[in-house]
Formats: sequence, C-alpha cells, structure tokens
Amino acid sequence: MAAEISAHARKWGPAVIALALGVAALAAATLSQAFAGEGDTLALEVKATYLIKLPPFITWPGDAFPSSVSPFTLCVVGQDPFGDLLDKALAGKRLIDRPVAVLRIDTAAQDSPCQVMYVAAGPQPAVKSLQAVAGRPVLTVTDSAVDGAKGIVNFILRDNHVRLEIDQAGAIRNRLEISSKLLSVAASVTPK
Amino acid sequence: MTETGRHGGFERLAPRLAIGMAAVLLVAGFAIVLLGAKYYREREVADGEMQAQILASAVSAALAFDDRRGGQEYVNALEANRNVQVAAVYDANGDSFVVYTRSTDIASPGTAPTLRSEIVDNHLDIAMPVQQSGTRLGTVYLQVLIEPAGRRLIRYGLIALFLLLTALVVAVLGISQRELAKVNTELERRASELAQSNEKLQIQIEHREKAEAALRHSQKMEAIGQLIGGVAHDFNNLLQIILGSLQTLKRRGARWNLDLADSQEFHRFIDAGIGGGERAAALTHQLLAFSRRQPLAPKTVDLNKLVSGMSDLLRRTLGESIVIETVLSGGLWKAHIDPNQLENAVLNLAVNARDAMPNGGRLSIETANAYLDEVYVREHDDLSPGQYVVICVADNGVGMTQETLAKAFEPFFTTKDVGHGTGLGLSQVYGFVKQSGGHIRIESEPGIGTTVRFYLPRRFGADQQNEVGKPDRPPPAGSIDETILVVEDENSVRISSVGMLRELGYRVLDATDGHRALHFLEGEPGIRLLFTDVGLPGGLNGKQLADKARRLRPAIKVLFTTGYARDAIVHRGRLDPDVALIAKPFTYEALAEKVREILGEPGR
Repeated sequence: MAAEISAHARKWGPAVIALALGVAALAAATLSQAFAGEGDTLALEVKATYLIKLPPFITWPGDAFPSSVSPFTLCVVGQDPFGDLLDKALAGKRLIDRPVAVLRIDTAAQDSPCQVMYVAAGPQPAVKSLQAVAGRPVLTVTDSAVDGAKGIVNFILRDNHVRLEIDQAGAIRNRLEISSKLLSVAASVTPK
Repeated sequence: MTETGRHGGFERLAPRLAIGMAAVLLVAGFAIVLLGAKYYREREVADGEMQAQILASAVSAALAFDDRRGGQEYVNALEANRNVQVAAVYDANGDSFVVYTRSTDIASPGTAPTLRSEIVDNHLDIAMPVQQSGTRLGTVYLQVLIEPAGRRLIRYGLIALFLLLTALVVAVLGISQRELAKVNTELERRASELAQSNEKLQIQIEHREKAEAALRHSQKMEAIGQLIGGVAHDFNNLLQIILGSLQTLKRRGARWNLDLADSQEFHRFIDAGIGGGERAAALTHQLLAFSRRQPLAPKTVDLNKLVSGMSDLLRRTLGESIVIETVLSGGLWKAHIDPNQLENAVLNLAVNARDAMPNGGRLSIETANAYLDEVYVREHDDLSPGQYVVICVADNGVGMTQETLAKAFEPFFTTKDVGHGTGLGLSQVYGFVKQSGGHIRIESEPGIGTTVRFYLPRRFGADQQNEVGKPDRPPPAGSIDETILVVEDENSVRISSVGMLRELGYRVLDATDGHRALHFLEGEPGIRLLFTDVGLPGGLNGKQLADKARRLRPAIKVLFTTGYARDAIVHRGRLDPDVALIAKPFTYEALAEKVREILGEPGR
C-alpha cells in the first residue's frame, strides 16, 4: 500500500498534495468550529444552571428585598449569553421561597433591584458594574471567559468542568453569607 | 429474744421477697422485650431517615455544582455504618450522581427512585429529596440492613436469660440470707452457752482453789500433828516414869521415920517434882489434843448446860474488866463430844480473848443450831453436810491481821510475850474440834475483834450415860487375892506401874511382851485384870493380846494404857464403848480409880 501511494504521489505531484492539505485544513477548521460551538453551548447551560443553583447557598440580609412578597430578581447586565436558557429553567420555579424575575439591563446602577447580578460583556465595563453595587446586598457573578474582572462568584473552566471561584471578602462587603457547603465545592476561595 | 423474733420474721420474708422480685423482673423484662420489638422498626426507620437526611444535606452543594469527587466522598463515608448496603445520590433530572455499594453484587437503582421510607424484606429503603433553601436539587437513596427477626429473638432470649439469672441470684441470696440468719442465731446460742459453761468452770476453779488451799492447810496441820504426837508420846512415857516414881517415893516416905524438919523438906521437894511433872503432862496433853491423838471420852452433852456450868470459872479467869454475855439458844441439839476437852477449848478461847482486851471489853458466848449445806462443805476439807451445834466465842479486842489469822491454829505460834503463852491454845481447840468430827471457823479484823465458831456434829439418839460427879475420897485400894498382869515393854514404866499397883495392895505379875504374857495367862488362873500397853513389840500388840486373853479367860477384864491413841483400840480418836483406857501419864489416884472401876467393888 505504501509503495502504491508513493507511486501515485510521484505521478500526481505537489498539486494533489496541496489540494489534499487544503481540504483537510478546511475540514479541520469546520469541525473545530462546530465542536467549539457545541462546547460553549454546554458550558453556557451549565453556567445558567449554576446561576440558578447558587441562591439557595446564599443568605441575604433582611433589607435585600423591598417587601416580603417582592420577587427574587436575577439581573443580567450587558449582552445576555444565555438566550432563553434562564427563562426556561426558571419557568414556574421559586428561589428561596420567592417568585423569580429575570431582569436584563445594559448598565448596573447602585439602585438596581437585583439579588443576583450576572455581569456579561456589554457597553459598561464589568469593573464599573461591579463597583456600582459594591456594598449593596447583591451577589455578583462573573465569567472569567467574558471579562477579566471578578465578581463574588466567578466561573472558570478547569479540566473541562465549570468550577467556581469565590471571593469571601467581597461577599462580606456586600453583607452576604455564603454556605460552607458552597465554599467546600469551590475551586478557590479568597479569604476574608 | 426480740432480736431473734425479728430475725425469724425476716427469715420467713426474705425468700418470698426474692421470688416476688424475680417475678416482677421477669414481667418487666418481657414487657421491655415486647415494647422493644414494637419500637425497634420505628427506631430503625428513624435512624435510616436521619442518615439519609444528613447525607442529603451534606451532598447538596456537591450535587448542585457537579462535584462528583466531593459527592463520592460523602456517600463513601457511610461505609462506617456496617448496615448501609447502598448509598446513592441522583440529580434533579433523576440521573445517577454518585453511588456507594458495600459489595459488587449489590445493585443500586439506575434512576432516582420515588421518595419513600419502607422496610422491604430484611432491609430498609429510603429515598429522600436533596433540598437547599426549598430548592429541590436531587434525591438520595439509602438501603440499610436491619437486624433479622431471628437474631433479634436470640438477643431478647439472652436478655431473658440474664433476667432469669438475676432472679435466680436474688433468690439464692434471699435463701442464703435466711440460712445465714439461722446459723447466726445458732452461733449466738452456742456462744452464750459457752459463756455460761465458762462461768461455771470459773466458779468450779475458784471452789477447787479454795478446797486446795484448805487441803494444803490441813495437810500442813496433819504433818505438824504427827511430828508433835510422836514427841508427846515419848514425853508421856518419860513423865509416867517420873511421876510414878515420885508418887511412890512420896507414899514410901510417909512410912520412913524422918524427923519433922526432914519430913517437911522431903515432901516439899517431892511435891514440887510432882507439880512440875503434872504441868508437863498438861502440856503434852495439849500437844496430843492438837495432833488429835488424845484419847477422847465422848459423851452426849447439852452444850447450854456446859457453858452455864463454866460461868464461875470464866469470871475468875477473865477478871472484872471484861463483861461476859452468854446467849443460849432454846431447843439446842445435843452433841457427842468429850466435855472436858470442850471446856478446855472454851477456856482457851476465853483466855485468848482476855489477852486481846487488856483494857477490858466484852466476851460473848453463843450457842445455836446450824445446818452446813453441800455448797459450804465443798469448800472445806474433810467435812460432811448436816446438822451441827455451834458455839460462838466473840470478843471486841485488838483482832488479828490476815497473816496472823492464817497461822493462828499452828502449834507454838503465839503473839503473846515470851512466858505468857505456849502457842498451844488455839491448836488444842483446832485439834479437839477436828477430832470430834466438827468444823472451826475464825474471823478477825484488827481493831474490831475476833470471833471463833466451832461446829460440833449433832448427836442423834438417847443419852448414853449421865454425867456423874466424882466423889472426893481416898484412892480405893486392892487386895492380895486380886491378881493383875502388867504388860509393858519399857522397863521403867513397867516398874513404876507394878510399884503403884502393889502399893494399892494388888498381887502383880509382869511381862515385857505378849508371848510372855500369854504364858502367864495359861499358868495362872487367878489373873483378873490384864493391864497392857497398846504398843507392844514381838508381833503381838495390846489389842491382839487382849483378844487372845479373852478367848482363854472369857471373864478376864482388860485395861489399856497408851501414850497416844492408836487405831488398834481407838477409831477416829474415839474409844470403842467397851474399851477401858487410861492415858499416860496417869496418877496414882487415877489408876486406883480406874482399876477399882473395872474390877468392881472388892469381894464381889
């Protein structure tokens, strides 16, 4: 077989090789694109699920909600990467015994009525958004893949798994209590 | 007694109590077993649920954030509970998250089981939700082995067995308690018996010691008595010779033609010699009295009469500074004693009392009847229980110390100055009372006085003979046709006796021993009186000689003489009623009286 191929190769010459290489490169590029897209989607789904699963492990102070019937508000600042994932996951669900509202905003302000704020890429730099709610009872969540700035919880990808980095000092600044169980599954914890 | 009663009550109750307690324990035990069986499953279920809840709570974060390694650690931790067969966690979609199985042949449900908590076969199936702040995160599943009924029954059986053993132990304890109480009572009884017998023994020992002391004392007195008796006997023989010779000399002298002055001097010396000899004889008499070797001539005596008869003598002896009181008991019994010796005894005591009361005082003489019982007799040597007549002589003089008292009866022991006492007074009293079968008791306390009691055995039966007053007359003489055979081994005594009898007018033959005497008896039919010493050499004593003589000559009379009484003719110091005896040393007059008394009036 090898002798046959080499015979063909000698007959067809460099053009064939160039073509084959081109096809192979194209195919590889297409495949990698396709795979990369699917991985992103998977990770997004996981992140959306994690975002929803975080609140039960957090305790907010009493003044975090305007009233006892106020809904639990999950804000997404900037361009929402999850599409309808959050809406679907939260349909008909309650979080910490409250109805859930998803609020998409372009910029975060000090008085934004959010309990969880996911900071995505947008017109306002992530750092600004985080600074806006510093000292407010808001759990800030960032994705290191999106922006360099880190919230109290920061998603990272390790060994092909989405893991959490937790900033306890930030949580204390925002008067939030984080369950030790959550800390125990975190990839890293910034101490108080 | 109350003690024993209480013991008895408890004894009867103890086993019943024990059995009752055992029954209660058994019932309680079975109730506990039944209740235990009822609640066992509930408790197992509750335990399982609790473990499932703990797992659900612990694993929530790991489940929420897909930390399989952490989750696996949580379920693996349940391996510590040996009964956990399966521990599994499922996510919110029902897919398996982590699984632990104790062994590979146990399977876990592939998807989340429906929530439940139930016992299936021998294990417990529990499926519980994993929740965090009201948000359902998934499901935990536990499969826990529960103890099989059989093994539980064995366990309950063991408990029952233990209870049964406990009951048995309680019962055994109860029974042994009762036995112990019985044994205790028995022991107490024995201990008290032992104490009693010990006390008895103690009393017996005391009695024995007293009796031994009394025996030792009487043995000492006996030894001294024998010694003194022997000496006194020899003295009596010597005195017999001296007195006999002097008296013979005195009578012969009257026939000699001495002028008046010579005659007066001759009689003065002779009388002085006789007087000294008689005093010596009195002394040896007291010695013999102490050694109980004096021949007694007892008669039935009314002691009241005897004491009354002594009053003049006592008054003269005691002087005016001493008051004499006599208390004579009515209905006093008679005594069988030698009245002369009794008089001597009372007189001796009176003299002692006088010497104890130099500044005057009171002497009391009492008579009374007394009964000495077994207990009293047991503590005193050589005494029989029975009725006694008592004479009590008491003074209120200087008294004696215990040391003096202990030696009071010993011969030659005296507290008086040299020349004032012989030391034989109390010895005579002692010897006389003992020889009479009586008992003497002396009590004294310095500064208070001395009391001497002597107990003389009561005489039963009729009076033997009346006391006869001695008529004052010259010694009765004999005649030549009255032949007397004198048998005496001691030459001097024999010569003296033969001399006296010839002086009295009798025809006298003499022999030195029994065999020669028999020879005379066979050849001389005219011998009317055999006058023999009791102790003779040559294998034939006075008594035996007399017996043979009586066989040869049934009509022959016998008169014995002796230095001291021997058993041959004297039993316990008393003469046999038909025996005539004259004690050495005897006087001329006494011998004359005695011989005439035996032979009867001349010519009869």
